[in-house]
Amino acid sequence: MMTPWWKSNHALFLILVGALAWLIPGAGHFTLNEKRRGSVIFVAVALTFLVGLYVGSIGVVDPVNAKPWYAAQLMNSPAVLFLGDHVADAYRAAQRASEPAKAYLVYGRANEIGQIYTSIAGLLNLLCIVNAVYMAHLQSLKEAGA
Amino acid sequence: MIAFSTILGSFTVPMRIGTDPASMLWLIPLVAAIAIVYKATKVGTVRLRPFVQETAVLFGSIMVFIVVAALILYGVAWIVTEQLPRLLERSTF
Repeated sequence: MMTPWWKSNHALFLILVGALAWLIPGAGHFTLNEKRRGSVIFVAVALTFLVGLYVGSIGVVDPVNAKPWYAAQLMNSPAVLFLGDHVADAYRAAQRASEPAKAYLVYGRANEIGQIYTSIAGLLNLLCIVNAVYMAHLQSLKEAGA
Repeated sequence: MIAFSTILGSFTVPMRIGTDPASMLWLIPLVAAIAIVYKATKVGTVRLRPFVQETAVLFGSIMVFIVVAALILYGVAWIVTEQLPRLLERSTF
């Protein structure tokens, strides 16, 4: 059986698995034929992130006033970049118009819980990205040795 | 379409959550998510029964540790705020 082109280059294969795992939580494991593991990771990470957004509103993804939290949230998926950009645009528009109500509402305990949920989801996905790359590395070594 | 808009709209307004002790219960789903994802990266093969068992053990361990840490912190706070001022009042120094 021929090895797919993207598997023959070891470094490229690891980068591809890592990028896929970041793009969609669990996709890295899915690529490695670990479908159950990938599904469990996808459901758990996506659900935690969505619960965080629902509790605190999408305003918890705040690249202007909460940069450290945003860095952790970015680990969920590159899609968070677009969400953060949208929230930042709304915030700047509200600042220019001197109407704070135009920005996405976010306050109090709901903000704290929302930020914690979305950031922990991102950090969990970072763990999964590292794990997927490590598993890809082991799989490559196994195939090369076989 | 209206239902979809309503669902999307619900993500733009924060929930009302008080600063009461009940708000600490929000910890439970988060601990469950951490236990599930961590175990998903650790087990050799994901099979329903052993996976659920291992996740439940990890979930329980984290909860027990959090409760013990909370009790210790509560005890320290009680000594510092309730007991220490009385002792200092009685002290001859």
